[in-house]
Amino acid sequence: MLKRLPKSQEILQVYAVIAVMLSGWTITAFLRKLPSWLLTLNIGEIFTVFSYAMVTNFIESLIVLLLLLLACIALPSHLFRDKFVVRGAVLSIAIIGSLMMFVGLHMQSASRLWLGFFEVSLLMGVFLGFSPKFRFLSSAVLWISDRLVVFLFVLLPLYVILSGYVIFRNIA
Amino acid sequence: MSQISRRDFLKLYAALAASAAFSGAPRLLSSALSNNGGKPNILIFVFDSMSARHLSLYGYGRMTTPNLEKFAERASVYHNHYSSANFTTPGTASMLTGMHPWTHRALNFRGMIDRTLADRNLFNLVGNEYTHLAFTQNFWADILLSQFNADLDSHFPCDLYGQARKSLFQPDDLPGDRSIAYYVFQDFLSLRLHDPSSFPGSLFIGSAELGIDITSDNKANISADYPRGLPTVYDFSYENADVFSGVNDLIQSELPRSSPSLAYFHFWSPHGPYNPRKEFIGIFDDDLKWHSKPRHPLAADNFPQEHMRQKHLEFDEAIAEVDAEFGRVISDLEKSGVLQNSYVIVTSDHGELFERGEIGHASALMYAPVTHIPLLISAPGQAARSDFHSLTSIEDLVPTILQITGREIPDWVEGRLLPGFGGTEDTSRSLFPMVAKDNATYQPLKHGTFAMIKGAHELFYFTGYPKHPDSFELYNLQEDPDELQDLFSKDITTASKMKDELLAAIDTANRNFQKK
Repeated sequence: MLKRLPKSQEILQVYAVIAVMLSGWTITAFLRKLPSWLLTLNIGEIFTVFSYAMVTNFIESLIVLLLLLLACIALPSHLFRDKFVVRGAVLSIAIIGSLMMFVGLHMQSASRLWLGFFEVSLLMGVFLGFSPKFRFLSSAVLWISDRLVVFLFVLLPLYVILSGYVIFRNIA
Repeated sequence: MSQISRRDFLKLYAALAASAAFSGAPRLLSSALSNNGGKPNILIFVFDSMSARHLSLYGYGRMTTPNLEKFAERASVYHNHYSSANFTTPGTASMLTGMHPWTHRALNFRGMIDRTLADRNLFNLVGNEYTHLAFTQNFWADILLSQFNADLDSHFPCDLYGQARKSLFQPDDLPGDRSIAYYVFQDFLSLRLHDPSSFPGSLFIGSAELGIDITSDNKANISADYPRGLPTVYDFSYENADVFSGVNDLIQSELPRSSPSLAYFHFWSPHGPYNPRKEFIGIFDDDLKWHSKPRHPLAADNFPQEHMRQKHLEFDEAIAEVDAEFGRVISDLEKSGVLQNSYVIVTSDHGELFERGEIGHASALMYAPVTHIPLLISAPGQAARSDFHSLTSIEDLVPTILQITGREIPDWVEGRLLPGFGGTEDTSRSLFPMVAKDNATYQPLKHGTFAMIKGAHELFYFTGYPKHPDSFELYNLQEDPDELQDLFSKDITTASKMKDELLAAIDTANRNFQKK
């Protein structure tokens, strides 16, 4: 079954896209809340909130990656595993982008929620199907995912340290 | 619960009769109780937002509280009892610590008591002799209770008797980190469905909650029994009948086996959205006198008079439902004998406002309806009503309960003993309700509304509001209970004296927070 999985470098590149998008959202939300927390919470408490948020983020990113890997195992290789970086990254952007639109539109107008969700999904579905055929799109996704890997050097240790901190708080 | 023998009963009766003959009934009941040998249970019922100005118990024009009035026939009734603030966090913190907001620093929305002062709480102070139970439906009060977790034997979740929970996670899912879990889940990761500007920290949790909300049948909350929908606390709805029955069962099962107990029950109702059962809707088909008051420049909204009048009526209906449920619980508890050795305290954390363009509480406005709250204390075996008209504060509960339980009152407690429980009716007393929700917790108080109530007068000091110059207002609550005539520029002597005293009090409170 492991043979049906993509190479680790490819997985890492797709994971970088997922982790950067999700953590980008969380950190943006965190920065929006920070001024109000600075009024009421001390630094240690703010760090604890951030830790819980990043651990949640870590779990979410693993869930998305797991879904993609399951798709790799379940689908014929020419449909997904081949060109995994391009297809995986585009699908990740589709999933996370749809959620961003879904939640983001709530902030503006609830009636447009589903519209945004379907718009993004449809657009990404089209890209997903044809992405390997567009050379520019393929190279752009490959280039971006390759560059985003550098963020994992920060994010992965952060996820591990903060997970340890959260586990410690709940055990202690 | 300890059984009272015939001999104990006779001693108690004799002590009651003797003390009733010499001083106030409550004081005598207290001493009689100590003859009983066992420490009394303390049951605290807090009804969120229940303004004293809406209770027929205090002379309100609508018969909102017949059951509280019946209960008052054997209780000490405090007519001029005030909260220290106009929303849950600072008010409840004062009630449970005996400290003023400018000392305990739970000033902000979702605020917490100064972490170094969190052990100064009622549960800790009454000691381990007592079993400590706490339940609140109010999340913000639960943050405070979570700070006292180490001192609580049982801390029940807010939605214990709730229905249709919409959020995926609740703070009690992280029992070891419950107070901070409010910030993690409710303030950050979750999507606040009622708040369109909410930006959930977790895309997955936010999307899931939004999906649940969209696909769930919100109309299910509206039924023949609840034409306006079920009462709701942000993430869950509930029926008061369930909540009160649940609390009733809890008391009946816990107290006999864990006496003496200090039990704190903080109900969400009559807090908005004022959705009582159908039998309470339309019960006040009257023409209550209504004072139209001009919009205040610092009011959070600008509701039309007719809307405020309608909400005012709905609030009264919600109070009537709470009163009926409370009457049912008290009657059950009495029948079961649980109250034989129990003090029952009924109060609120703050009031509610329907005037000057505003509905609700927690804004810059601190007019009496939002700070004037009920307080009734029924001692075990108390047979007569005692009325007290001097100013009393929400902070007075801690020292009074410590007195009842025979514990020493620490020096740092800022409340005083209530009249009837060792305190005196002090006509020169000053109270300082305040709201400084946008002031940084550990910075000097420079942004907020600070009130001072002394004798018949109430002074307001509005300071630090953007685009609003610092200003004062003065009212005579006895001659002008609706606070319509601002006397600040007319009664110069009173205004000047009160202004000096209020500013000096704020200055003193700020001293510990000035940069050195």
